[in-house]
Amino acid sequence: MTGAPDAGDAAASSVAAAGVSTGPEVPPLRLVDVTKRYDSGRAGYVTALSHVDFAVEPGEVVSVVGPSGSGKSTLLNLLGLLDDPTSGRVELWGRSTAGLSAAALTDARRESIGFVFQDFHLLPTLTALENVRLPTAFLPGDATDRARDLLERVGLADRMDHTPDELSGGQKQRVAIARSLVNEPAVLLADEPTGNLDRETGTQILEEVRAISDTGVGVVAVTHDDLVTDYADRTVELVDGVIRRE
Amino acid sequence: MSDRFPALTLATRNLSRQRVRAALAALGIVIGVFAVVTLGLLGNALGVAATEELGGLGNQVIVSPSEASGSDSLDSRDLAAIQRVASGRGTVVPLRVTGAQVRASGGQTFAQVYGTDRPGELFGNGSDGIPAFHRQGALVGADVAADLGVREGSTVTVEENEYRVVGVLPEVSSISPLQPDSAVILPADEFATSGYSQVVVRANSPDDARAVASGVEERLNARQQRVSVFSLTSILDRISEFFDLLNGFLLAIAGISLVVAGVSIFNVMLMSVSERRGEIGVLRAVGIHRRQVLRTLLVEATLLGVVGAPSGRCWGPRRSSSRRC
Repeated sequence: MTGAPDAGDAAASSVAAAGVSTGPEVPPLRLVDVTKRYDSGRAGYVTALSHVDFAVEPGEVVSVVGPSGSGKSTLLNLLGLLDDPTSGRVELWGRSTAGLSAAALTDARRESIGFVFQDFHLLPTLTALENVRLPTAFLPGDATDRARDLLERVGLADRMDHTPDELSGGQKQRVAIARSLVNEPAVLLADEPTGNLDRETGTQILEEVRAISDTGVGVVAVTHDDLVTDYADRTVELVDGVIRRE
Repeated sequence: MSDRFPALTLATRNLSRQRVRAALAALGIVIGVFAVVTLGLLGNALGVAATEELGGLGNQVIVSPSEASGSDSLDSRDLAAIQRVASGRGTVVPLRVTGAQVRASGGQTFAQVYGTDRPGELFGNGSDGIPAFHRQGALVGADVAADLGVREGSTVTVEENEYRVVGVLPEVSSISPLQPDSAVILPADEFATSGYSQVVVRANSPDDARAVASGVEERLNARQQRVSVFSLTSILDRISEFFDLLNGFLLAIAGISLVVAGVSIFNVMLMSVSERRGEIGVLRAVGIHRRQVLRTLLVEATLLGVVGAPSGRCWGPRRSSSRRC
């Protein structure tokens, strides 16, 4: 039961292929003069991001900080190709993603971007191993070996057949990180990755993230946690939808 | 997680999460299918029973002299005409009919007296005891035999003439314009008249009966209303239409319960989707296509129906008949 190749797959492949050919100077993921407005009914429009330029390079860890409502989640949604900008463009390997179909965006996301969430968001009915394999479930081929390797790498070799309710918070987040890496993404987007973890577990997770970035994966972590900024190569502060400090 | 059918695996895991809810939704389908099967069978059974009961009626055409003709009997020319019309479509049996006192050692009663040489055609009812040709003696209807206490070999007196009983007619359960149960059948020659009171055509099928009825009307009533033709085929058609309607009505009622069950599956799926919005969002974020998510949900809904339907279907016939599912 795998999806037949369609126009979207072809478009996504061309986006990914472009990255290989254009060299290391092109960042895998970039926002160019991006503005995002939301229609909030009678109150008019709310500008969540205003003329933001942002890029993540391979192997770097960027932390994005800022008060609530400053546009951090919007920034992450745009980077994750989950939302379209009102103006400006989102570039994946130097190519604008504007005009790509929903299917092509889904494929591009699967091939290039990994997600880690504050609440882990593992499927409760699947085991750790199945959760890690989930992004590849509808693809041809068997990713079991790779999923096993990833779980071993994050220190969960003895928890592969456990369901999420049998795992601690830190273990769940490690399963989530393994899941985000199963498709060998270029960029890892993390939304408050240590938000639900104690300091010690948070540190272990950040060590893991650091190790991942050392393999060439760009990491963008939206956070309130100073611990994350300690592990970041650079920190971007968002205030009222504008980048205040880099 | 199976690699070949990920949608099926995800769907079964999701259903197993809310077992009671899934079981109740499937139970709705069980009840709906059960209702359709049992009410459908009930309607069919009623129709079949009624057709069996009235079956003989539909194939009979009774031709009798019309009041307008002024005659109380049909002559041999009429009989020949009827025989020509009915040729190949059924059997023609001329009857002489009168009413008479019948006596025997056990008492006396008033009975219909039919005169025919071929009682087997009309009254045999598939029984071997009734002779195909009737030359002498009397055949006695089941009720008359019971009233008078006679059996084969007894003697009965019909209007001062004594006859030996050569057979007792089997009891007739179906409705018929002739009433052999309360009749005595004598050879046609025992009647003084030469004409016939009635000619009964036992057609091979309702269609033949219809054709014979209209053919006889055409031939014998073309210039003058000589005969009246009595056929219940059209009434039988109406009755059969009524049972079709009844069947449709019963199925419609059963269908409503099936629709309600379908709506309950829809409701379960709607609740399930709204509870799992976050999960579906994660599936989409990790690169699972919209149509793949939709496929998983459709497999879930189909499983609920597929589990329910055969159980309802098997349960239905087992309760209402011995048919295997």
